[in-house]
Order: sequence, then C-alpha cells, then structure tokens
Amino acid sequence: MSKKCYRYYGGLLVSQANWLNKMAEKGYRLIRTGKMLYEFEECTPGQYQYCVEFIGQRSKESAADYARFLEDVGYRVFFKNINLNWNVGKVVVRPWAEQGGRLATNSTTFNRELLIVEKETDGKPFELHTTCEDKANYCKQMRRPWLYLFLVSVVLGILMRTWVWGVFGAISVVGLLMCQIELLRLNKQAKTKEW
Amino acid sequence: MRDNAKGGALTEVTFYILLSLFTPKHGYAIMQFIEERTGGRLALGAGTLYGALNTLEEKGWISLYGNSEGRKKEYLITDLGREIATKELARLQELTQTAVKIIGGIYE
Repeated sequence: MSKKCYRYYGGLLVSQANWLNKMAEKGYRLIRTGKMLYEFEECTPGQYQYCVEFIGQRSKESAADYARFLEDVGYRVFFKNINLNWNVGKVVVRPWAEQGGRLATNSTTFNRELLIVEKETDGKPFELHTTCEDKANYCKQMRRPWLYLFLVSVVLGILMRTWVWGVFGAISVVGLLMCQIELLRLNKQAKTKEW
Repeated sequence: MRDNAKGGALTEVTFYILLSLFTPKHGYAIMQFIEERTGGRLALGAGTLYGALNTLEEKGWISLYGNSEGRKKEYLITDLGREIATKELARLQELTQTAVKIIGGIYE
C-alpha cells in the first residue's frame, strides 16, 4: 500500500535528503514525486539510501545524460522542482547556469532543478561527490543562484522599496554564506588532501 | 582537474581511472575496479566519476568505446592517455625510489 506525504523543502537539499533517509529507515521507499508530493511504498527498513543533488545549472541534455549515467551505475533517479510554480509556458533566464547562462522552460529544465538519487544500501556511505576538488566545484554551482538572487533582491529592493525583496535578500544571504563557508573549508582541505 | 601534461602530477583518482580503462569499462565497473584495487581505501562517488570522465574525454585521454546506444556507455583509454599514464608511472617510480632511500634508510 502506498503512502503519500506532502512537503516543500525549496533549497534545503540536505533536509530533504535527511527526511527521505528517515522514511527509508522506517521502511518507506520513494516511488513518485510531484510538486509537493512524495509517494512511498513499503520496503524493508533501511533498504535504501538517498542523496539530493542540485542540477539547475545543467542543460536539458546534460541533465538527462547525468541521470542516465547514475541509472547505469545502478541508482534510481527522480527529477524534482526546487520552486513552487504552477505556470504553464514559463521561460526563465538563468544567468548563473553553465556556459554563461541558459533559458529554462517548462519543457526543458524548469521545475526539474533537483535530482533525488536512490541507492540500495550496501553498508557503505552514499556520497555522489567524493574528492575535495569536485565537492568545491559542486559548492560553487550551488553558490551562483544564491548570489544571483541576492543581487536581484538588492537592486529590486532599492528600486521598488518593498519589504518582499528584503526578505528574499536575507534568505539569499544565508544561502550564500553557507555555500561560501563550505567552499572555504573545502579549498583549505584541498591544499593538502585530494579527498 | 589537475594533470601532468605540463610537467605536474596526476591526481590519484585520474591515474586510477586511466588504469582502469586499459580495458573497456562502463561507470560502475570503473568504480568497482578502483575500490577493489585500493582495498576500499578509495571509493569514488558517481557524481565525481561522471565529471572526471567528461573532463578526460574532453582532453582526449579516454574515448567512448563501441556503439553505446541503448546500452551503458563504455570508455577506453586513448594513445594520448597511455602516454600520460606512462609518464605518471615514471614520476611515481622516481618518487618511491627517493622515498625508499630516505624512509627505508631510517627504519632499517
């Protein structure tokens, strides 16, 4: 029998992964995702582990190629939205995406910014990024959208003088700082260690 | 990705990926090869491996092997990749010889 849960984690990727791992520990395996929906089926407790990865900077082809690679390795993947947006025919400019920015539309990468990756437990830790250099690169990719949101919030906040942009600015500063602190830690580690 | 193309050193991950591809392998087989050969000391994440394979393919050190349409992508080391791996082996031999002379001398 399936179990449906409704949650919204936005950019809190680690919290989302922690919750999915807790559900798996209780014996629930993810089978379907929607905007806020997570549908589970019963499984042996602790049989599966989850990672959540940000892939919003990738093109449609690059995201599909990466997902296929992870499936070939033996994992199951689910695409997931990072924003709550029900628009049809949406076109979004992503200046922070790879190759100097990209357009995201409903038919390409919009509402498909995250990958939930499932691995069958084999007694080893489940990490998608393992070297300091790669972790730092991933951290830089995560930092870019926060930086962009911060700059947009500052400019629009000054021009429009509304508190809404102040809230967005404050949220983006927190995200930006967390990425920056992690990046500094990884860069320091990378000076003497490879992983 | 750091490399020895300009006289530097390969990372351990890069060198192991090149070594694993002296025979054709897909992603999971590369991960298994590295984990087995290092006795589990070096476990490569799939995301890290994906990025490394793309970088090495761009550099021309490895290439896609055979027609992988509908099947798992397999990779194989190129002639340039073999040349790079051979240079790295020579560098490591020089390093270990020096290390044995110094450390071995202390503990003998």
